[in-house]
Amino acid sequence: MTIDTTSKELTLESLLKKIPSLIENLRETRDTYLTDAVLMGEIPAPTFGEEERIRLVLDRFRENGLDDPEVDDFGNASGILPGAEGRSSILVMAHADSVFSPETRHVINVGSDHITGPGIADNAIGMAAVVGLPKLLDRLGIKLKDDLLLLINAKSLGRANLEGARGFLETKQRPIRAGVCVEGAEQGRLSYSGLGALRGEITLRLPKNYDWNSFGAAGAISHMTRFVSQIMEIPVPKEPKTKLVFGELHSGSSFNTSPRKGFLRFEVTSEGDEVIEEMEGKIKELCEQYSLESDTNVDLEVVAKRQNCGIPFTHPLVKTTRSIMAESGITPKVDPSTGDLNALIRAGHPGVTLGLTTAENLREDNETIHLEPLYAGMAQLITLLQAIDLELCEL
Amino acid sequence: MSDKNQNWLDKNTFHHGEFWDILKLVEEKEKKGLKISLCIPTLNEEKTIGKEVLILRSELMDRYPLIDEFAVIDSGSSDKTLEVARNFGADVYLASDILPEVGDKRGKGENLWKAIHQLKGDVICYVDADISNIHPRFVYGLVAPLIRRDEVHYVKAFYDRPLNYSSGLRSSGGGRVTEILIRPLFSLFYPELTNIVQPLSGEYAARREVLEIIPFPIGYGVETSHLLDLYEKYGLEAFAQTDLDRRVHRNQTTNALGKMSFGILQTFFNRLHLQGKIDQIPDMETFYRRFEVEDGAYSQIVQEVVEEERPPMIEIEGYLRKRHGS
Repeated sequence: MTIDTTSKELTLESLLKKIPSLIENLRETRDTYLTDAVLMGEIPAPTFGEEERIRLVLDRFRENGLDDPEVDDFGNASGILPGAEGRSSILVMAHADSVFSPETRHVINVGSDHITGPGIADNAIGMAAVVGLPKLLDRLGIKLKDDLLLLINAKSLGRANLEGARGFLETKQRPIRAGVCVEGAEQGRLSYSGLGALRGEITLRLPKNYDWNSFGAAGAISHMTRFVSQIMEIPVPKEPKTKLVFGELHSGSSFNTSPRKGFLRFEVTSEGDEVIEEMEGKIKELCEQYSLESDTNVDLEVVAKRQNCGIPFTHPLVKTTRSIMAESGITPKVDPSTGDLNALIRAGHPGVTLGLTTAENLREDNETIHLEPLYAGMAQLITLLQAIDLELCEL
Repeated sequence: MSDKNQNWLDKNTFHHGEFWDILKLVEEKEKKGLKISLCIPTLNEEKTIGKEVLILRSELMDRYPLIDEFAVIDSGSSDKTLEVARNFGADVYLASDILPEVGDKRGKGENLWKAIHQLKGDVICYVDADISNIHPRFVYGLVAPLIRRDEVHYVKAFYDRPLNYSSGLRSSGGGRVTEILIRPLFSLFYPELTNIVQPLSGEYAARREVLEIIPFPIGYGVETSHLLDLYEKYGLEAFAQTDLDRRVHRNQTTNALGKMSFGILQTFFNRLHLQGKIDQIPDMETFYRRFEVEDGAYSQIVQEVVEEERPPMIEIEGYLRKRHGS
């Protein structure tokens, strides 16, 4: 079926008009997704250790009546809400893993206007929004033509390098009209491109026969400091936009023992794939040079690498999403993704990443989401699914 | 341990995992025409009440209609407890507004007692408000034995399933007051009641017909008095208990526990008096009873503790001879 431009505009307008009442309905039905956010969020799910959280997701998929609920070989949970016609699917996904270790006290507190606890924003509330969709759509009386393919993917963050999402998309052979990645925060986030990225771990070791006299009081900490300074001398271009982040540095364990080992984690992101290649080459060279000059062993391990990808700003999916955000009272903030959207677009599907609500203290034990903006955030998601279903986001 | 006690433990001690199929419980409840009310007594619990109401209402009223009525009964909180509870959909009552003609006493037991008047259920389930790891099992684990077994009238919770450590078994601990006060007292006066693993746990469910015929201390003694009074009327067979795994809550100071123990002792001696045990103290038991668990099976460990006594030294002939040479 082909829908002409005017008809599409009218259909979208009709959807947009319903957003205010949708927001109110989503406020009324919030228990559905807030409860799941708390129950899922209280189960620790470090990357590569998401099994227990995924088990609860699978139970929920079953309870919510999805077809083919399953956990695949990559540890992802998925299920299908059949559409009226089912000729194609809309993929809605959220990652299950969090940055918090199992030792963190995973207790979530619920206040009148906020919820606080480790990982509630990233990504317990995002998962809960996806898991709760069948019940919400049912309560809202929304029946889609397309199948809704729901995915809670494991192994997304850090070293996992999007393994769960990539594995799912490589093996799940279904026609996908478009995909939406759901993140708890930050509201207004609009990603339609995946940013090229390189994540590396550098380990510096002093050899057993290290000559302490020749190099002064140079334990691993002194070496790491000098080495980081040298990396910082590598020019980081402004065009294409490029960023170098040192995310973790540690060495030593006491006051008076010179450590023999240092460890650094870093990430290079760039809109230019060639810049990433170049930076990787330079850092590798620096590792070799520093090893030889300082009688140390400096090794680089690239733990994740991905290329730039995306759909254009003018793509109807992006354009429609912007209209929906505007009508929901949400100001879009274009932000290239380093997350699951990368896997989605590289698998050949148009997609966007949305953030549901505002948050503070991200990645800290007192991570907090605000409830009032959440209802508009949920409304933007549901309206976008309707728009995709009505073929308003096709090229 | 007697066969009777072990038999009771085997038959009347459950794990919440046995009741995971909540939908089935709902069907059984409806078939029996039972109505279940949930009561959370509160006093300044704004930090935890929101989550309790959200999760228990959403899971056990909306998703699975196991609970027919959900009430928060408050003792006059000065924080936002009432606002938060109402915000998440609980029916909120001030204890002082219920049965005003009998006056208002301040204490958790007052709220539990007035809940019997205010709520409509055939079964009332009480859950404390300070549980930070609240989960639906805290309710379905307690009401399930009442739905399934007509002869059971009162179900207590217990927690912290003991684990096997490399150093051996860890005994099944109650709280400090349970281990230091209640278990020794029960071992002396009510040995059968030592089968209750955590007699002071604040979570329990009971049938209306037993709640309405017993008095309620308004303070710390309410849990103890329930056990003593119902045991006196119905014996151990009326009780069941469910392992709810872990419960995370506030830690109390030793001073607070001392105050609590003082209140419990008042209730305890009051019952001894009422049951004629204070004037005619029977031969005291010499067996101390506690719990251990191995591979999920609970067993009572009975140790004989005989407090033998020596007479005053001055009554000993050898001593007198040495001291006085006679």
